[in-house]
Amino acid sequence: MKRVAIVAVVTAALGGLFLFGLLRGSPDRDIPSNLIGRPFEAFELPLHARYAPEFGPTLAVAPGEAGVPMVINFWASWCGPCYQEAPFLEDAARRYEGEVAFVGIQTQDRGALAAGRAFVDQFDLSFPNAIDDDSRTSIAFGLFGVPETFFVHADGTVAYKHAGPVDGALLDARIAELRR
Amino acid sequence: MNLIDLGTLGSAASALALALALYAMIAGAIGAVRRDARLQTSARLTAVAVFLATSIAIVAMVAALLTDDFSVKYVAEHSRIASPTWVKVVTLWAALEGSILLWAWLLTAYTAVLATTTPNTVLRPWALAIMQFVSVFFLLVVVVVANPFVVLANPPLDGPGANPLLQNHWMMAVHPMLMYLGFVGLTIPFAFAMAALITRRPGTEWMAQTRRWTLAGWGFLTAAIVAGGWWSYEVLGWGGYWAWDPVENVSFMPWLTATAFLHSVQVQERRRMLKSWNVLLIVLTFALSILGTFLTRSGVVSSVHAFGDGPVGPVFLGFFFVITLGSLGLVAWRWDQVRDRAELDAAVSREGAFLGVNVLFLAMTFAVLLGTLFPLIVEAINGSRVTVGAPFFDQISLPLWMLVLWLMGVGPLLPWRRAEGQSLRRNLAAMSVGFAVAAVAAFTFGMRGIYPLLTVGLAGWNVVSIGLLLAGAVVPRARLARRGLAATTLRYANEQRRKVGSMVVHLGVVVMALGILASSAYRTDVQLRLPYGERVAFASYELEALRPFAEQDLGRTSVGVEVGVIQDGRQLEVLRPRINVFAQNSMAVATPAVHYTAAHDLYLSVAGAVDPNADAVIMRVVQSPGIIWVWIAGAIMALGTVWALTPMASRRKALAEAPLGERSPA
Amino acid sequence: MTRLLPLRRIALAATWLVLLAGLVGSTAWAQQRALDAEVFAIGDELRCPTCVSESVAESNSAIAREMRVLIQDQLDQGRTRAEILAFFQERYGDWILLNPPRTGVMLLVWLLPVAALLVGAAVMLVLIRRWRRAADLVVDVADDDRERVRAALAASGAASGAAHAGSDASAPAPRP
Repeated sequence: MKRVAIVAVVTAALGGLFLFGLLRGSPDRDIPSNLIGRPFEAFELPLHARYAPEFGPTLAVAPGEAGVPMVINFWASWCGPCYQEAPFLEDAARRYEGEVAFVGIQTQDRGALAAGRAFVDQFDLSFPNAIDDDSRTSIAFGLFGVPETFFVHADGTVAYKHAGPVDGALLDARIAELRR
Repeated sequence: MNLIDLGTLGSAASALALALALYAMIAGAIGAVRRDARLQTSARLTAVAVFLATSIAIVAMVAALLTDDFSVKYVAEHSRIASPTWVKVVTLWAALEGSILLWAWLLTAYTAVLATTTPNTVLRPWALAIMQFVSVFFLLVVVVVANPFVVLANPPLDGPGANPLLQNHWMMAVHPMLMYLGFVGLTIPFAFAMAALITRRPGTEWMAQTRRWTLAGWGFLTAAIVAGGWWSYEVLGWGGYWAWDPVENVSFMPWLTATAFLHSVQVQERRRMLKSWNVLLIVLTFALSILGTFLTRSGVVSSVHAFGDGPVGPVFLGFFFVITLGSLGLVAWRWDQVRDRAELDAAVSREGAFLGVNVLFLAMTFAVLLGTLFPLIVEAINGSRVTVGAPFFDQISLPLWMLVLWLMGVGPLLPWRRAEGQSLRRNLAAMSVGFAVAAVAAFTFGMRGIYPLLTVGLAGWNVVSIGLLLAGAVVPRARLARRGLAATTLRYANEQRRKVGSMVVHLGVVVMALGILASSAYRTDVQLRLPYGERVAFASYELEALRPFAEQDLGRTSVGVEVGVIQDGRQLEVLRPRINVFAQNSMAVATPAVHYTAAHDLYLSVAGAVDPNADAVIMRVVQSPGIIWVWIAGAIMALGTVWALTPMASRRKALAEAPLGERSPA
Repeated sequence: MTRLLPLRRIALAATWLVLLAGLVGSTAWAQQRALDAEVFAIGDELRCPTCVSESVAESNSAIAREMRVLIQDQLDQGRTRAEILAFFQERYGDWILLNPPRTGVMLLVWLLPVAALLVGAAVMLVLIRRWRRAADLVVDVADDDRERVRAALAASGAASGAAHAGSDASAPAPRP
C-alpha cells in the first residue's frame, strides 16, 4: 500500500509538472526583467537623421530627467513584429504628447542604417529613434529579443517590460498605470 | 505527375501496418494465454508482414523525397529540388514525422527478426506481443498524430529544404540512425522482461535470451552519442562536442541506465539476486527514451533541437505513463516471484561492486534529469526563471565519474561472493602504484588541479587493473599449455569474447576520460585577426590567411578563407573554414575546418563576414589537446562491443548449422 | 586578392554581392576584432539571451558576438571575471548564469543529487547488511552440508585453483 502511494504521488507530481510545461507555452517566452523597480542605465546614442533638426545629432537620456513617464521601445529592421507594432506606438506617442515621452531604439541590427531609416520613414515615426549599433544599450536593458518595450515611471524607475509587439490597448493600460 | 500516388501508398501501407500490428499483438497474446501454437505462429508471421508494410511506407517516402513529389506534405515541408541526393534521403529523419516513421520501421524490423530467429520459449509469444504493442503505439502516431504522407491538394513547386545545420555534414546520415537502433535495441530486453513477469518466470531466462540485443542496443547508443559529439564538433563552430543541451541529456540518461542494467544483470545471472531491480532498470531505460522524445519534441524544456509544438509531445508523455505505470503494476502483481531472497557473503565482492555501479549510475541519471527539469520545476513552483547549464552538469558529474573510474578498476578484479584478502591487497597495491606513477608523471608534465591529476591517476589505476586481469587469465594458461604468451592471449581473446570485450570497452572508457579531460581542461579558445599574407603566431603554430574564396555547390554557396597552417616554417596544411549559405532561406552556417593531429586539434571557424575587400579576416581559433582520442575511444568502445557480440569462428559455424525450424510450443 | 584572375574575380564579386545581401538580411555580423581566451571562458558561463539553450561562447547570434566584444572591452579595462559576470547578472538576472548560484531555491539543484547519492549508498548498505544476515542464516541451517562441501573442495581444490580471479567463486578451503 505504501509503495502504491509513493508511485501515485510521484506520478501525480510528474504529470502535474509536465502538464504545466505543456500549457505554459514556450520556455523562452517573456522572461521577467531584472530592471523592474530600479532606474534604467543612462544612455547617449546617435539619432536617425530625420530627428536631428529637433533633437540634435544624439539623444542623451538619463532616468528621471524627462520629468514625465517614458515608453522606451527597442526594435530592429529585420524583425517582423516590430513593423506590426510601430503604428500603435506612433499613434500613442501623438495622443500622449507632452505627458509621456516616447523613445525608439534600433538595436541588434549592426550596420543596418539604411534599413532603419526606411523603417522610421515608413511609419513616419514622430518620436526620436536612436541607433544602438553595438547593442550596448540593449545589453544595459537586459534585452532578450526584439521588440521589447519598457514602461518607466516619471522618477526614472522601470515599472514594466513587455516582450513582443504592443498594441493600442496595451499601451493605454500600461500608461494609465504609470500616470496613477 | 506520378503514376503511383506515393502519399496515398504510404498512408495505406502505414495503416495496413497498424492493423497488422494490432492483430499480431492480440493474436499473440491470446495465443500465449491459450497456448495455441497456430495463433502464435500466425502472430509471428504477421510480424514479418508488419515489417513489409512499414518497408513499403519507408520506400514510398524515400521515393517521394527522391522524385521531389511535393504533393506529399512531409516532402513539401522539408525537402527541396536543388538538394543533393544524400540530403534528400536523410531528410527522411531530418524532421519529426519522418523520424518517427523511421523509428517505427526499425522497431518492426527488429520485431520481425525476433519473430523469426528467437528460439521458441514460453517467453517468446509474450515478448513479441509487447514488441507489437510498442509498434502499435508508434504506428498510431504515424497514422493518426503525425502522418507524413498527408496529400496536399495544391502541391507547391518547390519546398524549403531540410534544416541547413542538418545538411551541413554527412554525420547527419549516421547519428540519428544509430540513436534509433539503440533505442529500438533496448526495447527488446524490455519486452522480454515484461514477458518474464507475465509468465511468472523472472529468472535469468529473459536476460540470457536478450543478452546480445541489450549489448548491441547499448553499443549503438554509445556510438550514437559519440557520433553526435563529433557532428557538433565539426558543424557548430565553437570547437566543443558536448554542451549538456536537453536533447543531449535525454539521450544520455537511457545510456546511463542501460549501462547500469548491463552490469546489474550479471549479478542476477550469477547470484539470482536483484530480480525486481533489473526489471525496473530496463523499464526505466525504455521509459526514459520515450520521455526524452516527449521533452525535446514538446517545447517543455528549452533545447536547441526543440521542434515545433503539436500533439506529438503529449502523446509520447501519455505513452511514458502507460509504460511506467503498466510495468510497475506488473511488477506489483508478480511481487511474490520477483521479491529477492537474496544473500550476500561479503560487501567486498563482485556483486558488491555491481551494486556500487548501480548507485553511481542512478545518481548520475538523477542529477542529469533534475538539472534538465529544474528550470521547469522552479517555474512551476514560484514562477521565476532560472537556468541550469553546462557548468552545473560538469561540476556535479565529475566527482561521480571519478568514483566510476575508481570502481571500474576494482570491480573486475573482485571475485564473486568473497574476495580473498591477500590477492586483493596485492592487486590494489599494484593499481595504487599505477595511480601514483601516472599522477606524478602528470604533475611533472605541468598538470595541476585535483580533477586532472585524479583522472590521469585513475587512468593508470585502470590500465594496471586491466593488465592484472589479462595476466591473471593468460599467464597460468600459457604455463599449463606451454605456449607463448602472445599466442595464448590471442586464443584467450578469441575464446572469452565477453570478458575480453568488456576489457576493451573499459579501456575505451579510460581513453575517453583522458580525451575529455585534455580537451576540456587544456583548451585554448581565442579569436584572431588574420591579415592576408601575414603570419600570425598561435600556440606552436603560425597561421597565414592566404586568400578568400567563394564557391557554389548544389543548393548552397560558400564563402571562406584559405588559411595556411605553418609549423617551424613549414606549411602543414591549407584549411578552408567557410560560411555556407543555403539558398533556400539564406541562412548562414559557419563551417569550421580542423587540422587533426594525435596530440591536439587546430580548429578554425570564420567569426565575421568574409569581405573580399577587407585586408584581414577574423577567425575563431581553438586548440583542443587530445580531442581526437574522444573519437578513438568511441571506436574502441564500439570495437569491444562488437568483439563481445560476435561468436567465435567455431561457434559461429555451429550456429549456422543449427536447425532453425519449429520446435513444439512449450 | 591580387592573385586572382580577372574573370574569376568578376564571378566571385557577383557571388559575393548575392551573399552579402543575404547575410545582411539574416545575420548582422558583429564588430570584427580579436578576442582573448578569457572572453570565451567567461562566455561559457553566460547564457545567450536571444538563443535557445546556448552559451555566449557557443552562439553565433548577433547579440552573443556583441557580448563577447563587450567582455573583451571590460577585460581591457581591468575588470575581473567575477565583476563581468556580476555586470550581466545585474542586467539579466540569475537567468543568464549557466552556473546556477548556490542560493535560495537554486541550492536544491546542487543538494538533491548529493542527497540522492547518499540515500542510494545508504540503501545499498542496508541491503548488504540484510543480505549478509540472510547468508549467515542459510549457512547456520546447513552446517553439515557445509562441512561436506568444504571437505570436497579441499580434496579437489588445489588443482583447479586460481585459473582466473573472476570464476574463483569458492570460499577459502581449510587446510586438512
